[in-house]
Amino acid sequence: MSRAPLSRACAALLRRDLVLAWRQRGDIALPVLYALIVATLFPFALGPDLALLQRIAGGVVLLTVLLAMLLALDGLFRGDLEDGSLEQLVLSPQPLAPMLGMKILAHWLTTALPLIVIAPLLASLLHLPAAAMPALLLALLLATPLVSLLGAVLVALTAGTRRSGMLLALMLLPLCVPVMIFAAGALAAAQQGLPWTAPIAWLGAALALAVVLAPLACAAALRIALDA
Amino acid sequence: MSTWIPLWLHRLGSPPTFYAFAGRLRPWAIGLALLLGIVALYGGLVLAPPDRYQGDDYRIIFIHVPSAWMSLFIYAVMGVASFVALVWRIKLAEVVAMESAPVGAAFTFITLATGSLWGERMWGTWWTWDARLTSELVLLFLYLGVIGLYHAFEDRRQGARAAGFLAIVGVVNVPIVHFSVKWWNTLHQGSTVNLFGQSHIAGDMLWPLLTMMLATKCYYVASLCGRARADLLALEGGKDWVRRIAAGEAR
Amino acid sequence: MTATAPATPLLEARALRFHRQDEPVFGPLDFRLHAGELTLIEGDNGSGKTTLMRLLTGLLRTEHGELLWRGEPLRHERCAGEVVFLGHQLGLKAELSPRENLRVAIGLYGRREGPDIDAALARVGLAGYGDEAVRRLSAGQKKRAALARLLLVPAVLWLLDEPYANLDRTGIELVNRLLEAHVAAGGAALVTSHGAVSFHGGAPQRIRMHG
Repeated sequence: MSRAPLSRACAALLRRDLVLAWRQRGDIALPVLYALIVATLFPFALGPDLALLQRIAGGVVLLTVLLAMLLALDGLFRGDLEDGSLEQLVLSPQPLAPMLGMKILAHWLTTALPLIVIAPLLASLLHLPAAAMPALLLALLLATPLVSLLGAVLVALTAGTRRSGMLLALMLLPLCVPVMIFAAGALAAAQQGLPWTAPIAWLGAALALAVVLAPLACAAALRIALDA
Repeated sequence: MSTWIPLWLHRLGSPPTFYAFAGRLRPWAIGLALLLGIVALYGGLVLAPPDRYQGDDYRIIFIHVPSAWMSLFIYAVMGVASFVALVWRIKLAEVVAMESAPVGAAFTFITLATGSLWGERMWGTWWTWDARLTSELVLLFLYLGVIGLYHAFEDRRQGARAAGFLAIVGVVNVPIVHFSVKWWNTLHQGSTVNLFGQSHIAGDMLWPLLTMMLATKCYYVASLCGRARADLLALEGGKDWVRRIAAGEAR
Repeated sequence: MTATAPATPLLEARALRFHRQDEPVFGPLDFRLHAGELTLIEGDNGSGKTTLMRLLTGLLRTEHGELLWRGEPLRHERCAGEVVFLGHQLGLKAELSPRENLRVAIGLYGRREGPDIDAALARVGLAGYGDEAVRRLSAGQKKRAALARLLLVPAVLWLLDEPYANLDRTGIELVNRLLEAHVAAGGAALVTSHGAVSFHGGAPQRIRMHG
């Protein structure tokens, strides 16, 4: 008889979620497609003026990625809740917070990472200056896990309710304001040729804090949501 | 764990006791709110002199500022009550937290509406992305999120616990939003208008303001008492004390 | 039977009641479950069997009555790893094969000495289906795949909510055989059922639930 060590459990769960995502890879493509469509629509709405597009490109890409993530976040626990896997996870002898951390990591890898990969494409569609590209990628690399972590807490809270896409957006918006401000701030500074490390550092600090706290909050929220 | 809570609080936390207590408190709170409100409005709109720079336009602060204070105060009450509800699972704390939310949202809305009226006269625009206004707007979204989450659950107590959790998350979030919007404003060199930064408030403007603040507090207490009573009746519908009240009403 | 049972029961309920929005769901309920015992919870639909099960797993909490695990108040941390739950939702991922699902369960819960995944699958009658996606299995086969999990993880107490649903006659016998073997090896089990169930070996303790 052997108790499962935490590292083994983490690996098993991460592997399961990645394999599942791979078997349903069509779902990975959806947020990417959505982001592509939204970003393509912007020039049609605002006109093909190069200077204007250059000015807004960074913000549009950030916003597009955020919206696409919001779309995908709703499904973070949905499948597990419906087939009972979530109960099995909560009842397992493992501490819940790191387990949920693994789920969030898998979710980030399968939804946000593809978005970051196509972000340069979206940015060049909108003529973002090449000089701002490193700032964009760095901002996305820090901001998207932050959104995933914060979003996971809220998704856990809504896990016990009926379909709740709009509610999730309403709840997530206030939490996203600071993330958006600092990510966009870094981009704006980079575009103007100013130093942009300060807002990036703020994002990094917030991410470090969220990596520790968000899984714990997520576990607490999930226990509330399942207590019915 | 329950020994941490003082005994009187524990006794007040029992629904029938609170129901009776709130029923006695409510008429007084309503009366006091009306009285103080009328005195404050008279003091603010009639007795106080016009402002040197703003003329009579500044008088909206007698509504705007107390509402803004209340929007934050009620959020704090909601946060504390939610915390108590989650840690000690006290039903009354859940009720207080959830019935505070609509009142707080209403005050937040009044703050935004009066603020934008004032802004139209002073700045020539209904809305600016000033740190305070933006934080207030985010506060409104937080309130709406809490109310929405509460009503998304079929089990009301579970909804109260989930929404209370969200309220606590919001308590952490509001200062962060305020700080980040301030930072954002300096970055964009937007309008850095201070609502009441330089002007010293004269005594005959100050007392109506403080009186109105007391009036809004009393109104909140009265409103909370009424709402909490109704909610307790609904939540405890099957209990004996509710049956006794229902029988008493029918007679 | 009572002579060999240890002094402190594995699981004990004292005046356990549950209210949903102040409407009583069931109770008061008293029972004791020792290692090596099997308890059958009987009751009609809506009598609170599933609620009781969720209470025993610790997913639900109640303020009325006591639940003791080895003599101490039941907490998730105390009984973690010693209890395994099988509910209406089987906890199987439809896109994965039974073998992959079981591997995840072992990763989370640990592994009992004894049968490996292939042996467990063979024992529940799923030999040859190990690599088929769960989505393609029949309802009864899915149930069998979930039952294989019981054989692999090192839990003392099995909480089975309606294990007989969706099973044919041989399946029902399989569940009974698994339960008998588990109890004979010193394990304990709580099983809910809305119908009459007969066991070959000995008469299990029965709890009757009323709505």
